[in-house]
Amino acid sequence: MLVSEIEVVTPATLKECLTMIANEDMNTRLIAGGTDAVVRMKEGKWRPSTWVNIKGLRELRYIIEKDGAIHIGPLTTHTDIIKSSLLQKKANVLVEASREVGAIQMQNVGTIGGNIGTASPAGDTLPALYVLNTVLELSTRNSKRIVPIEEFFTGPGRTILKKNEMITNIIVQPHGENEIGIFQKLGPRKAQSISIVNVAISLLMEKDRQVLSGKIAFGSVAPTIIRAKKCESILTLHPLTDEMIQNVAKVAWKEVMPITDVRATAEYRRDMASSLLERGLYRLMRRWENK
Amino acid sequence: MKQLNTTKNEQSLNWVGKRVKRIDGPEKVTGELKYMTDLHFDNMVWGKVLRAKYPHAKIKSIHTLNAEKLPGVVCILTHKDIPGFNGFGIVIPDQPVLCSNIVRCTGDAICLVAAESEEIAERALELIDVEYELLEVVTDAEKAMTASAPQLHPDGNIHSHVKIKNGNTEEAFIEANIIVENTFYSPRQMHAFIETEGGWSVMDADGFITIHCPGQYAHRDRMQIARALAYNPERIRVISSPIGGAFGGKDEITVQIYLALLAMHTNGRPVKIHLSREESVIAGIKRHPFKVHMKTAAKKDGTLIANEVRAVADTGAYASLGGAVIALAIEHSCGPYKIPNVNLEGFCVYTNNGISGAFRGFGVNQVCMGIETHLDMIAERLNMDKVEIRKKNVYHQGEISSLGHIVKSSVGTFKTLELAENCDLWKNRRQYKSAVSEPWKKRGVALATSFHGIGMGIGLPDYGAASIEILSDGKFLVAVGCEEIGGGNSTAYAQVAAEILNCDINNIKVVQGDTSRTLDGGTVTASRSTYTGGRAVATAAPNMVKLLTNTAAELLNVPPSKIEVLPNCLNANGKVVNYQTIYQYLFEHHRSTRVEGHFILPKEKVEIEGSGGAPHHLYGYLTHVVMVEVDTLTGETDVLRVVSIPDAGKVINPQGLEGQAEGGAVMGIGYTLYEDVVIENGFHKTRNFTDYIIPTIRETPLIETFPVEDTPEESGPFGAKGIGEVVMIPIIAAIMSAIYDATGARIYHLPATPERIFNALKELKKQNVYSSR
Ligand SMILES: Cc1cc2nc3c(=O)[nH]c(=O)nc-3n(C[C@H](O)[C@H](O)[C@H](O)COP(=O)(O)OP(=O)(O)OC[C@H]3O[C@@H](n4cnc5c(N)ncnc54)[C@H](O)[C@@H]3O)c2cc1C
Repeated sequence: MLVSEIEVVTPATLKECLTMIANEDMNTRLIAGGTDAVVRMKEGKWRPSTWVNIKGLRELRYIIEKDGAIHIGPLTTHTDIIKSSLLQKKANVLVEASREVGAIQMQNVGTIGGNIGTASPAGDTLPALYVLNTVLELSTRNSKRIVPIEEFFTGPGRTILKKNEMITNIIVQPHGENEIGIFQKLGPRKAQSISIVNVAISLLMEKDRQVLSGKIAFGSVAPTIIRAKKCESILTLHPLTDEMIQNVAKVAWKEVMPITDVRATAEYRRDMASSLLERGLYRLMRRWENK
Repeated sequence: MKQLNTTKNEQSLNWVGKRVKRIDGPEKVTGELKYMTDLHFDNMVWGKVLRAKYPHAKIKSIHTLNAEKLPGVVCILTHKDIPGFNGFGIVIPDQPVLCSNIVRCTGDAICLVAAESEEIAERALELIDVEYELLEVVTDAEKAMTASAPQLHPDGNIHSHVKIKNGNTEEAFIEANIIVENTFYSPRQMHAFIETEGGWSVMDADGFITIHCPGQYAHRDRMQIARALAYNPERIRVISSPIGGAFGGKDEITVQIYLALLAMHTNGRPVKIHLSREESVIAGIKRHPFKVHMKTAAKKDGTLIANEVRAVADTGAYASLGGAVIALAIEHSCGPYKIPNVNLEGFCVYTNNGISGAFRGFGVNQVCMGIETHLDMIAERLNMDKVEIRKKNVYHQGEISSLGHIVKSSVGTFKTLELAENCDLWKNRRQYKSAVSEPWKKRGVALATSFHGIGMGIGLPDYGAASIEILSDGKFLVAVGCEEIGGGNSTAYAQVAAEILNCDINNIKVVQGDTSRTLDGGTVTASRSTYTGGRAVATAAPNMVKLLTNTAAELLNVPPSKIEVLPNCLNANGKVVNYQTIYQYLFEHHRSTRVEGHFILPKEKVEIEGSGGAPHHLYGYLTHVVMVEVDTLTGETDVLRVVSIPDAGKVINPQGLEGQAEGGAVMGIGYTLYEDVVIENGFHKTRNFTDYIIPTIRETPLIETFPVEDTPEESGPFGAKGIGEVVMIPIIAAIMSAIYDATGARIYHLPATPERIFNALKELKKQNVYSSR
């Protein structure tokens, strides 16, 4: 398919959109901010016969608190997330992750739905969504299902999404009083860079440095985002002293299975899983103590 | 060299030395300026280049028939369609315009296509069928030099070999108290200009060809085009300005010959080629990766007594300026020091790794990191101050350099070191270093100094030329061949002209880079364009003053000696003549309204045998002080502060100098920490800016520029000399040493990526554990 032959259709409503993608005869793909879509089109990887341009669907751009959860519309931009006082207060780990996506230009147009839709193992909001126990609402023209984010991805660039289906809601569990979170990223430079390793951490604190429970999710070190379950269980054993932090971080090395590519070797990625966890836990404890 | 009659004392200068705003600034900042590759015309056709599929192969056949049949294809050209010589290259034309029997890198061109749209042209490329027979790929420069390697060119894989020997190093190494010896590896840096290679061209009904294509020497580009076309160069016009950055990457022919060839086959329709970033990565010229082995000896008191250097440069498939790069590297490999015994040797070697050529610094970057690291190592072992050891060893004007020649032109190194020693960052470095934000972060402060030749070496003619014309609106048109590649030379030319003509700078228009409108005044390379072009303008301007004076005298019927040159007009006995009147008078009397100025660069008389053009007569000098912070958990390095201390002679425009110093520092940071075009087995692993990492504003630190100005260069315009390259050089070594100062780990292989630094720290930890057992 030549780029000049690709059509672009712009549905006015969600309903119209779902009808369009339900059309079996049309080879469609959604385009939101286009910051992944256009790059992939240029590379010749994504060449649908029709782009369904959803950028203008206002009804899918929201951040609201409902029944103890926070609902985020897939067309919410990273900038929306960064500026949301609700998320800053109750899901800061996601705010920190959005702040690390590309740079301001990307954050202004790139959406959270697109970050999930691309399903890159390096996608920066994904580890944050993992530790916030996120569930996704997937809709077709006449059905809806709710899927935990951990079950959504099947591999790099691959998801369980069907052709006639799209993400219509992203539901995260907000942090309570004693919950804290942090996002750490290592890229080849500070802005406009794809993560070599990233990690999101969320801890439920008891008192002092004692952790009641914790969640750790790594990106870019496996075919999909992975939770570091061993580290999570060790976290609660003793108060998180600086020494304890180092011990937990060392274990991370065993929980990841990275590959070598142009950006870094597998061995370095392994080491960095530990380093980022150590740095993240250290910074998180500083914040907790200053709270 | 005769003192210019235009050197006024400081107070009386109106434009030179002042912070004059860039004359090309507003249209570039607002985006109003159209680069030549931005232009599009209704009847324009698209040109595309078919590149080699393999890095080294024999071409068995080329079938274009299927592509020709594709609707919308205007023409398809192969080597058979080249009317003249099928080759180009500034020094030796060893690069085929279109390959006929062998391809030597994946940047090699095989066919040209012109079509109604870009997509059709791309489709046509896919339909061309080239049959190859694969050949063994030469991937490593050292291996390329061995007898068993496949020979890429008739004269073998060693394109050039330069040597400088002075004194007796063997004896000196026996005498020495300290010897340090190391091998340094440097990356294949990409120019990463904002405008990739491209342009457009058109042939008129009379067969006159105009090529609009950014370049760094339009007059030479025209000669290379004419040679390939077997065409009278007078029937070719090359317009090489404006330019979206060059940095040396547009010094060689880029697409000019392709454009000219296609224009001959498109029935008078304009044809455009504009490389995608991906194609530019593969086919564009890069900086030579070097392997530098260096052995340096000193006495107990820190006096350097010997330096041995062996440098191997990977020039890729073709020479371009590789021979000159290795020669300049060797000339500068001992730093601005007087080392009595040296044995220096450099090789420029062919491989199948893309093509390397000119790039800001021109080989000096790669050797500076060696000698400056060694000075620090020696100082450390002797417990000597890093500034002191340099001050002790630098040559001064009139002294003998390491190459064995007397340096007759101005030398500012000592002064720059004194300034460095007294700058806030260096004086208070202990305090700054202790101010880390988190416990695993470590800070280091270091300095380094370097130099860079100005103009061409011995053996190459080097001249400047400018013309000034008075226009009907009373403005002056200053025309200089040297292009404005972003460095700010256009503003410098306007300042020099306004100064001497005694007029407002708004009265000066500057035209550059156009074979029809400017005289041949050499390249915009070799840190030479402000110095050479500025001096040519300063030579032409007094001729214009004379023309104005004589004409005014005639107009007023007084002897020329009675005419006073006042700001923006001339005067005699209270009667004022303005420029428009003068133009009118000249025009009515059919007299020339234009003057010229020519200038030959001063040169050394005796070439050092075997050196390939050393020494230069003139050098610019610079010292950098930097502070870095290393995250020892990840190896990430932040450059936090840079102090740049250039000796540029008289500064024509402080704002322009700062622009160069800041841009150069950032480019040096990129070179040291991030950038490398990775090629494996002849194929590029680096595709575009997704994985070619250049610094962004977030990697850009506070950069302060403190020029040393009390060493004006007599031969330059108002005492100026060149600075365009050295601004990115010592910072490389300074960052490397600052990383060491911070962490104790030395990096010998650039770029010093987080991974390399982290691994070096890991290694260091192991050694420490081992040695403490
Ligand atoms: C220069 C640059 C830097 C970048 N840096 C980063 C970075 O640091 N970190 C990072 O994580 N990403 C980065 N990205 C990638 C990109 O910006 C983000 O992934 C962004 O969030 C994508 O959002 P979008 O709206 O632009 O998606 P689009 O490109 O519009 O779409 C991406 C994919 O998601 C699908 N999609 C979109 N919306 C939905 C939906 N509602 N339901 C189902 N599928 C949907 C599309 O069909 C498509 O397959 C960068 C991109 C660029 C160009």
